[in-house]
Amino acid sequence: MTAAVEFDSVSRHFGPVRAVDGVNLSVAEGTFFAMLGPSGSGKTTCLRLISGFEKPTHGVIRIFGQDVSNTPPNRRNVNTVFQDYALFPHLNVRENVGYGLMVKGVGRATRNAKAEEMLALVKLDGFGERKPAQLSGGQRQRVALARALVNEPRVLLLDEPLGALDLKLREAMQDELKALQKRLGITFVFVTHDQSEALSMADRLAVFNHGKIAQIGTPSEIYARPRTRFVADFVGSSNVLPPELAQRLGGAQNWSSLRPEALRLTAADTTALTGTVTGLRYLGAGTRVTVAVSGAELGVLVPTGTPLPDQGAAVGIAFDTSDLHPMEEA
Amino acid sequence: MKSALLPERGAGDRMTAIFWRRPRVLLALLITPPLLWLGVVYIGSLAALLLQSFYSIDEFSGLVVHEFTLKTYIELLRPANFDIIRRTLLMSASVTLASAVLAFPIAYYAARYATGRWKAVFYLGVMLPLWSSYLVKVYAWKLILAKEGIITWVADGLGLGFLLDAALALPGVGGNSLSTSFLGTFIVFVYVWLPYMILPMQAALERVPKSMLEASADLGASSAQTFRTVILPLAMPGVVAGSIFTFSLTMGDYIIPQIIGTSARFIGLAVYQLQGTAGNLPLAAAFAVVPIIIMLIYLSLAKRAGAFDAL
Repeated sequence: MTAAVEFDSVSRHFGPVRAVDGVNLSVAEGTFFAMLGPSGSGKTTCLRLISGFEKPTHGVIRIFGQDVSNTPPNRRNVNTVFQDYALFPHLNVRENVGYGLMVKGVGRATRNAKAEEMLALVKLDGFGERKPAQLSGGQRQRVALARALVNEPRVLLLDEPLGALDLKLREAMQDELKALQKRLGITFVFVTHDQSEALSMADRLAVFNHGKIAQIGTPSEIYARPRTRFVADFVGSSNVLPPELAQRLGGAQNWSSLRPEALRLTAADTTALTGTVTGLRYLGAGTRVTVAVSGAELGVLVPTGTPLPDQGAAVGIAFDTSDLHPMEEA
Repeated sequence: MKSALLPERGAGDRMTAIFWRRPRVLLALLITPPLLWLGVVYIGSLAALLLQSFYSIDEFSGLVVHEFTLKTYIELLRPANFDIIRRTLLMSASVTLASAVLAFPIAYYAARYATGRWKAVFYLGVMLPLWSSYLVKVYAWKLILAKEGIITWVADGLGLGFLLDAALALPGVGGNSLSTSFLGTFIVFVYVWLPYMILPMQAALERVPKSMLEASADLGASSAQTFRTVILPLAMPGVVAGSIFTFSLTMGDYIIPQIIGTSARFIGLAVYQLQGTAGNLPLAAAFAVVPIIIMLIYLSLAKRAGAFDAL
């Protein structure tokens, strides 16, 4: 099966800056694909390379097998939900949603009917007459989504679409987007810097760092077996142990990751690994206790309800050696 | 132990406190002078002008008859006077249109692409002509456009003299030389008012985010479609603002047509002559009311066409 989107050693340089640096990736049709990374890691540039707002300096991009090197954005059958939504302020909601059909020469009646249909899909029936300025952030986001989907794109690109929403709305939209993608079966490529968003929504995800893909895989693979220190730290703030410490604790002599929730606090004299509590951060469902051990600081996630140690107390840390995950790369 | 309040540091702090307690005081201080200026001096003189236009002149004595009449306005419709209005309107419209067409690429470049130093170069380039006296520029143009001037010289040198001759042979706008034709008047008007079109246009285009243009392309629009359906409507308030400048400045100007062009009169010149040598203040006032009416009609048409929807 041809991939929906394929990058063949693609680079995009801005002067001396290598925003995207030799990226290879393949997005299977019908998947929810997330590109995760800190700001400046090249994920948004990758999205813009797919939509055609950027041209690769090197490499080839294929959309459903077709080389799009010479195809301008308006001739690519992909649509984007922009970070700032980019709704046209002089058009009302219905005209905004129908815009893509209008420029393709679809008649007004069909256009309006389709626009209404899409507005119903994003639960904004009856908002057609309003101007974007009269909508809330969440509603604008839905209009942007409807405006993209009305064109029946083969790939939908979403550039941090939930970034401007508050937490509650954000979680609701995450579920809705996911459900919508399942229902429509369109390939979604989703850019985010929020690791929990990427983990919860994506079928597959690529973690970006410095213009390169640090790791690509399913969320559980990436969470459980981070390939590099960067991935371990960025996805789920794992503990990263230097090779010496990992070996002392019974692992391989590699940089290794150890999830905070895999650790348990015990009395100081019952285990080989002991340290001093240097910080406590209450997270609601649990508390992240930072313990200074010789050679590293470890975060331990203590579920709420379990007694907490005092700041400065000596504690022991216990875990299963099997949770110690050696990484391929530093 | 530190005090909860910081010590007062004199008059500045006392004023700040007054403004904080009574925000309206500051507002009143800020807007009273302009309100007086606009309200009394400007609107007042406009009202006086309007009043004058309803008086008439006694044809024998040449004195103003202070009685309400529409006679003076009917006077405007006499062929000689109506020609002046039509000519002025046509010239203002052409100057505005040409300025808009010329200004757009410049404003678009400045808003979209110019950054840092190039933006400074743009502002300097647009404003520089405004630094020298208007009269100096107009007289300079008289020399440039004259029969012995640089344009004729260059055209002849390039063997394009026939083009210039063809342009001057055009009926209605041509003439003996550029400096004595409507074409010349038009060129100088466009030159002199162009900055007033570029700046508001650039300001309006600057407010159109780049993502808006990308969204349009993303949804399948060609460059021409994006221009027509996104850029132009969003830039329209700026275009209208600029056209108000070029349109009304052209309509009111009485210097340029006097120095460059034919002897045919424009509204500004007519007003100047009527209130001066001719001493016909009512007719001068009636003439002066014409641009105001035209601007009002123009603005209401622009509003109906949705030019201000993006505001």
